[in-house]
Amino acid sequence: MNVGIIGCGTMGKLHAKCAQNLGLKVSKCFDEIGKAGKSFAKEVGAKVSSSWEDLIDDPKVDLVVIATPTPYHYPALDRAIAKGKHVFCEKPLCRTTEECAKIVRKAENSSAKVFVGHVVRYFHEFEAIREQITLGKIGEVGFIKMYRGGASPSGVKKWFQDFEKSGGVTLDCMIHDFDWLRYVFGEVDYVFCQNLTKLNRPPLDYSQVTIRMKNGVLGLVIGTWAHAVGFRVKVEVCGSGGLIYYDNMEGPIDIQLRKKEASQGTIIPESPVRKSPYEREWEDFLGWIEKDEQPRVNLYDGLKAVEIASACIKSSVLKQVIKL
Amino acid sequence: MIRIGIMSFAHLHAYSYAHCVNSLPGVELTAIWDDDKNRGKEASEKYNTRFVENLDDFLGLPIDGVIITSENANHKRMVEECASAKKWILCEKPLATTIEDSISMVNTCRREKVGLGIAFPCRFIPAIERARDYIGSGKLGTILAISCTNNGTYPGGWFSEVSLSGGGATMDHTVHVVDVLRWMLNKEFEWVYCDLGNQMHKGVFDTDDIGVLQLEMEDEIQVSHIASWSRPKSFPTWGDVTMEIVGTKGVLYVDAFNQKLNVYSDAVMKAEWAFWGENPDLALIEDFVHSIEEKRDPLSTGVDGVRSVEVTVYAYESAKAQKKVKIKRNKV
Repeated sequence: MNVGIIGCGTMGKLHAKCAQNLGLKVSKCFDEIGKAGKSFAKEVGAKVSSSWEDLIDDPKVDLVVIATPTPYHYPALDRAIAKGKHVFCEKPLCRTTEECAKIVRKAENSSAKVFVGHVVRYFHEFEAIREQITLGKIGEVGFIKMYRGGASPSGVKKWFQDFEKSGGVTLDCMIHDFDWLRYVFGEVDYVFCQNLTKLNRPPLDYSQVTIRMKNGVLGLVIGTWAHAVGFRVKVEVCGSGGLIYYDNMEGPIDIQLRKKEASQGTIIPESPVRKSPYEREWEDFLGWIEKDEQPRVNLYDGLKAVEIASACIKSSVLKQVIKL
Repeated sequence: MIRIGIMSFAHLHAYSYAHCVNSLPGVELTAIWDDDKNRGKEASEKYNTRFVENLDDFLGLPIDGVIITSENANHKRMVEECASAKKWILCEKPLATTIEDSISMVNTCRREKVGLGIAFPCRFIPAIERARDYIGSGKLGTILAISCTNNGTYPGGWFSEVSLSGGGATMDHTVHVVDVLRWMLNKEFEWVYCDLGNQMHKGVFDTDDIGVLQLEMEDEIQVSHIASWSRPKSFPTWGDVTMEIVGTKGVLYVDAFNQKLNVYSDAVMKAEWAFWGENPDLALIEDFVHSIEEKRDPLSTGVDGVRSVEVTVYAYESAKAQKKVKIKRNKV
């Protein structure tokens, strides 16, 4: 199977590597920034397409990876599905719930298999948390606090900092936690959110979301793009018979360099395991394509995650509880 | 010599305060009164003082100041009794279970010309004092957002009996952080949205064991706060007070009681944290003693007590209405 990658930034590179590790050939790539596309092509041994449309239309490309800024997801998905290409799309599936719904409908009527990269479901530590909950180690879960974020990313043309495009930390980053909460506890009842969009102070964003699941579990999800350095993930789950606490700062490896390299793109937390969560999601996706085994994440999950994040953003503007 | 009396050992903090009074030079724990005779007697033996069964006898003693550590709903009656006996007062938090009560208590103390303070030891935690200095010096720039927690273990007994406590974990664990934030930022709270419930103790008691508050302070500072009894019995310590404060120039993190050792003892078969930091209760009691000597209110005044009660009461109102509610600041 030949893979074509649209968007040759941090995530594009990561997905190219995963695809290659699984024996796929990355044959084509495209990036809006010509230089980025060229150096990427050299690195992975691919050819640069003349446009993203050409890449999708290329009969030799079987699988399209969409790793562009969020607003470009929808047109690329739309075209790829129309051409019957399989798609690996980074989260969030689309910028708006309406776009997501259109994509879900189109994919239903197509032979294309569309996978959305809600990778947190594949993180070992999050699997372990879920397992401890399922085993009943802390009794019945009543409350969960999730925390994710760090320094504000900028991305190509600082697109992350344009909250109209990226949706801020609430859509771009906390969507991981919203998806995982749905995965473990089911559907969301309502949300209440405050974030920094009201102050219009990009690149800083800081979002606090009260979330109530339909099964009664209460949660507080915090996302930050307001820190000076680093990337932090913390989870606390409180139950009738105990408590689970996870903090990514307590890890098996830590490196401190004297000269700090300024990071342009998204910072990806290091999780030193033999098979990375990104490879695991790729394996899951390929299992679906090749053996028709249902993957852990489906397109509807991608839609619901955007719906939750959008409800949060709406809540922050209206300062109201938003029912889902 | 400053003479201190303690009214009621219903609240566990009374034991710490008694110990602090005894350890301060020039201060005497003169007497204990308690409506629970056995509890009061036992405490008097433990802290080497006398137990006085009759309240009039107790208030007739040459006591300068009284620490009130009764059930929340009984604070008002006892504050009034102490005030009319012209005693300086340090009242356990929350000051009262209703806004009306809290205002009336402040007015009573003013009328009787006695000082009234609220037992908010967090203001005396060195890390919190340091955080206040950082904010005041402008090191963090303009403050934009704050995330706080005050988690604890379910204290048991009257704490979950609403007629005595006024509410559950939200009543118990909102006021400390509210007071500290008001003090650190010199700003008031504008509105609150609160979602709460009995999430971890179904069948044990009925009232809330957690409240998740979203608040806005003056100048559009967004705040979240978790007030809970979410710490299980197996947890290595009683709980925490934490704050993440986001400013335009940086982020400040406070974990107020994180001055501890990890202790693993086969004798208890659970991990424990041994706190080695300074006891903030001692500084709290010291300030109370000074306030008596200097004829002033303690650091956290009755008005501070009213403000934190207002936020808490509106939090419950918000939870009931399932929407954010404006916090009305009463004239006091």
